[in-house]
Amino acid sequence: MTATDLTTLNTPPSTRRSRALLWMLLGIVLALIFSVVLTVHVAAGGITDAASISKAIAAPAFTNMLGMNVLVGLAAVLFVNQTGWGTLRVILTVGAALLIGFILMLLISHDPLKAYNALLTGPLSRTNRWGSWVEDAMALTLVGLSITLVFRAQLFSLGAEGQIALGAMAAALVALYVPPLPLGIHIPLAVLAGCAAGFLWGMIPGILRAYLNANELVSTLMLNPIAALIYSFILDRIKPKSAGFTVSEPLTAALLPRIIDGTRVTTGIFFVIAAVIITWLIIQRTPLGYEIRTIGANIKFARYGGIDTKRTIVLAMSVSGVMAGLTGVYLALGIHQKLILGLSGGLAFEGIVVALLARNKPLAVPAMALLYSYLRVGGPIMQTDASVSLEIIRVIQSIIILLFTADGLIVFIQARRTKPKPPISEQDAAHIAEGAAAQP
Amino acid sequence: MNTNKQKRVIIEAKAVTKIYPNGVLANNGVNLVVTQGEIHALVGENGAGKSTLMKILYGLERPTHGQVFLRGEPVQIANPQVAIRLGIGMVHQNFMLVPSFTVAENVVLNTEPTRGITVDTAKAIAQTQALADQYGLQVLPEAQVDSVPVGMRQRVEILKALYRGADIFILDEPTAVLTPGETRDLFAAIRNLVNQGKTVIFITHKLREVTEISDRVTVMRDAQVIGTVNTNESDERMLARMMVGREVFMVVNKPPVKRGKAVLQVRDLTYVAESGKVALDNVSFNVYEGEVLGIAGVEGNGQTELVEVLTGLRAAAHGTATLDGKPVPSNDPRAAREVGIAHIPEDRLNNGAAISSSISDNLIVDRYYKAPYSQHGFLQLEQATQNAQAMIEQFDIVTSNAENPLQSLSGGNMQKVIVAREFTAQPRLLIAAQPTRGVDIGAIEFIHQQLIDKRTEGLAILLVSADLQEVLKLSDRLLVMYNGHIAAIFPDPTAIAEEDLGLYMLGAKQQSADDMEALQ
Amino acid sequence: MTLLQNVLSGIFSAAFLGAMLRVTTPILLPSLGALISDRAGVINIGLEGIMLSAAFTGATVGAYAATAVDPSIAAWVGFGAAIVVAVLVALLLAFFHLQLNGDLILGGIAINILGSAATIAIGYQLTGGRGGGSLGLAGVQMPIVDLPFLKAIPAIGDGLYTILGSQNIMTWISFLSVAVIWFLLYRMPIGKHLRAVGENPDAAASVGIDVRRVRYLALAISGVLAGLGGIHLSMGYLNGFTRDMTAGRGFIALVAPALGGGTPFGTMIAALLFGAFAGLETRLPSLLPGVDIPSQLPQIIPYAATIIALVIYSYQRTRALTARARRFEQQRKQEPAPTPSGPSD
Repeated sequence: MTATDLTTLNTPPSTRRSRALLWMLLGIVLALIFSVVLTVHVAAGGITDAASISKAIAAPAFTNMLGMNVLVGLAAVLFVNQTGWGTLRVILTVGAALLIGFILMLLISHDPLKAYNALLTGPLSRTNRWGSWVEDAMALTLVGLSITLVFRAQLFSLGAEGQIALGAMAAALVALYVPPLPLGIHIPLAVLAGCAAGFLWGMIPGILRAYLNANELVSTLMLNPIAALIYSFILDRIKPKSAGFTVSEPLTAALLPRIIDGTRVTTGIFFVIAAVIITWLIIQRTPLGYEIRTIGANIKFARYGGIDTKRTIVLAMSVSGVMAGLTGVYLALGIHQKLILGLSGGLAFEGIVVALLARNKPLAVPAMALLYSYLRVGGPIMQTDASVSLEIIRVIQSIIILLFTADGLIVFIQARRTKPKPPISEQDAAHIAEGAAAQP
Repeated sequence: MNTNKQKRVIIEAKAVTKIYPNGVLANNGVNLVVTQGEIHALVGENGAGKSTLMKILYGLERPTHGQVFLRGEPVQIANPQVAIRLGIGMVHQNFMLVPSFTVAENVVLNTEPTRGITVDTAKAIAQTQALADQYGLQVLPEAQVDSVPVGMRQRVEILKALYRGADIFILDEPTAVLTPGETRDLFAAIRNLVNQGKTVIFITHKLREVTEISDRVTVMRDAQVIGTVNTNESDERMLARMMVGREVFMVVNKPPVKRGKAVLQVRDLTYVAESGKVALDNVSFNVYEGEVLGIAGVEGNGQTELVEVLTGLRAAAHGTATLDGKPVPSNDPRAAREVGIAHIPEDRLNNGAAISSSISDNLIVDRYYKAPYSQHGFLQLEQATQNAQAMIEQFDIVTSNAENPLQSLSGGNMQKVIVAREFTAQPRLLIAAQPTRGVDIGAIEFIHQQLIDKRTEGLAILLVSADLQEVLKLSDRLLVMYNGHIAAIFPDPTAIAEEDLGLYMLGAKQQSADDMEALQ
Repeated sequence: MTLLQNVLSGIFSAAFLGAMLRVTTPILLPSLGALISDRAGVINIGLEGIMLSAAFTGATVGAYAATAVDPSIAAWVGFGAAIVVAVLVALLLAFFHLQLNGDLILGGIAINILGSAATIAIGYQLTGGRGGGSLGLAGVQMPIVDLPFLKAIPAIGDGLYTILGSQNIMTWISFLSVAVIWFLLYRMPIGKHLRAVGENPDAAASVGIDVRRVRYLALAISGVLAGLGGIHLSMGYLNGFTRDMTAGRGFIALVAPALGGGTPFGTMIAALLFGAFAGLETRLPSLLPGVDIPSQLPQIIPYAATIIALVIYSYQRTRALTARARRFEQQRKQEPAPTPSGPSD
């Protein structure tokens, strides 16, 4: 063993902690620089010279934009902090998927370079596009958190779609029909209603799974169209007679205030930040979170240790529903400011990719939501600018899932190797070895 | 039985050694000679190396050193397909059958007779029937396997091997799952096979079966062959001595027992497995404060079920168990823990731990919801970490950090984590099942000392172990379980002749109910 | 009273039964696909995506072929291309799971996303970005099997003709598939191997069956069946491809085998039941004239039926397990426990 080996082995934890802190600080500094550059680029419509900076600062809501971008940068730092070298795997996977997407585009597009340029730079080319990105990432963060909760318990749920619809409906009904209240009361009331709707809709598949052992994949999938139909049924009843489309009256009460002109970025960001922290707290710092993590890690051990596994399954699904319901609230009160058909636009499946890439770590979710939203916003720009279908984005999404989980193969093998999971022989054998060793 | 002495050797293992990748020595220079047309019994305790040897003969494992000879020729048995081609058939303990298929379908699977593109069912049935008739293996070729009794399923397995042309049959504890009547039928069938020139290797724990059916018997212990004898020249006492060995029992530094009041009282406890097998059969005993009650026995004689009923993992069919006079909660592990039962489970990787979770998480599974680990609705991580650090120190767990995943530890240290958790649960009764299985000597010594210390402090301990040395060393009293019931009670384990113990464990002896009542 | 009569006579009318068979077809075919993958122990969650891929390929290739050859031949060209694509997509899933050790469920979800997105994207490029996804080419249809002789049967002839006389060939193929799958599973060696692999892979491997190869085959066959379902959607049920036209049928199909007790004919009954509910969906308003039914109510029926069916099935299975345990207990009480009888010396 060399001297260096010894020193790294003997590094006391305190030194390691201060080193990690140093890296963290460096990351934060980089993030701040990045956010300033990003803000100037977007606000000034591209950085050309020093004048761009003053132009950007003069732009309306520059401070708020800068604030949002700081959060974007911090999300990235947090992600690296949470996943460590796993970051590299994410970058490689997404890179490979984009490459495959590019190859596909070579086949179907006349000008693939233009298309990819639109996809990759488009979202930052105008303030409103930048806004779409950030707005969408906020919704996606909430859905990603929802999926994270169920994945942590080794369950599956594709029910976010329905939970979002009903959450949005509940919040909008509160906004529409509860007599005007101060925002500080009205918004929380609407949020509460949306969360409750998500909780209940998430509880159904949870109960079916826990007590009847009914496959939650099928039940959550079937509950989506039912929720969508309930949603459209109510919408039919409350829409103004004059409306040609199925759309509610514009909401006027309980709206989340918009904070950047020309975008739909709202104070909903505070809800999102709170949701990330709360989800992290639930998973890492509450007895329920311990139960969820433990049934996910080994459900037999959980039962042996005295955890009520059925109750935990129901609660994991329900709390996941709360996060999805919150997504609905955000969409209704923050983005659309009314109820429309197809409000969520397939967010549930996107949430799976986000949770997968974030490795089910709540604090890693925002960065992955931003990453994926970037593609989601780039898609339509690519479609308009280069006549390439925005659906290419979802093709890339499916490739990411395939690559990332097959890529899990390496992890899988490593896990297998360290996990002594003997048939009978090894235990038998270990037993024998002691006997043999005891012999002269 | 065969009297012809000029049998030629059909299969032979010469100096076979098997070292598993994890360094475990399972067979140590093993020699086995089986002659054509004999019934060769292979006996030995759990983990003596019988299974490994048979797996080598059937191509499920490759020997590290040594050579297998078939009819005098060296052979490389790379996988079971090769074994089948060489005429070696194996009847596994857990049957390799497709439950929804008929008997005939199972027999011909993957070598189906066909007519055009379809399976010729009539022919399959006829072939099965013919084979069954020839060897006296009575089966219903058209019955679905999951609807026929276990004994018939076993005959189906034998027919499968016959259909594929087997000459040598390895039967792995074939009577473990059979009723006495079915066992008789099986023995008749085995004699029939041998009369028609087949050879049978018969693995068992039951001495009576050895003397009843075999021509010769090989005894294994501690990865080695102790000897091969002609059955008619041996007796049960001799075989029991060979199996159990004559180790001098370790002198333990153990203060004299100070028995207090009865903590656990078990009366007529009965458990019926999902398969319908009566796994636990009217078991009654007490465990007292300040004593270690040991339960000895070959594995699979009801010990697992006993422990799982007592710890709330299963519900008994009838009978009672009370702890300090209060009934032990049924089917509710948390409630069982809360009345004061701690449990070191026999299968530590499947039940006792979550290997991907951190050490500190593994250490609080029974207490995370209580103060000080949870307060005001939140987990108090510092408390969990402190708890973990205290236990790491107290139980000498080798790790750099309490937040490391459990899977980063060695087997012995993993077991110490479980032991630490259960010991510090402040139980009234500690149930320790196979507490030192698969752990290194150092950890064994440590865990043994902990058990003795706790007992001396007044804890009631129920120790279940397949390791005879362990139960004899630690127990203040000893029960022997056989086939779901208590075969014997020994008030003083140091006074037991090992030979006697062997006879009770292997079902050759049984104390009378009155004797046992007197010894409670 | 009259309402009920209306409903009943409506449900048991020949027209309804004919329609029911039509709407059952695209549920039955993927259900059989789910069945065969299920029986091999590799549940195919990707049926929806495979159906979409086949629906799109069939309609598109068929339409292009129709510009060169006779439409009746072009339809079959589309048919062939659709099957090839369906099998390829199914094999992609098989490779991912069996070779790369990927998670089967996540893989299936990815296939569904891929099927939905790729069909829309390619359609978009082919149409040059025009909305509606119309190729501007005439759609092709799989042929109708016209059986005029049915009319000649006295008394029931007309009704019979309405039910069976002019069904699309895909409907006939779907019901024929039930028999074919049954024959394959229960009569052919490969079917037996497939079931053995699904029920007890160790047992199958112990007699030399290549488990992985059998599972590849099972997924490929489930791909063919889902593909046939897709073809019916775009070249039988409707005339052309529209985005996400499967509308969850690939998911409903996942429940049918379990409800049908894991057999082809049971699965068919379950699919017919779903078909009946789906048929009811379109006819309920006309069956109940004058009643103000919200348009969503009938649409909910198939999904609600799936959930209810899942609940009933799971409940019964759970009860069957406990009942079995109870039976053993009772048996035991009847015959007293054999007293331990060892020689006591």
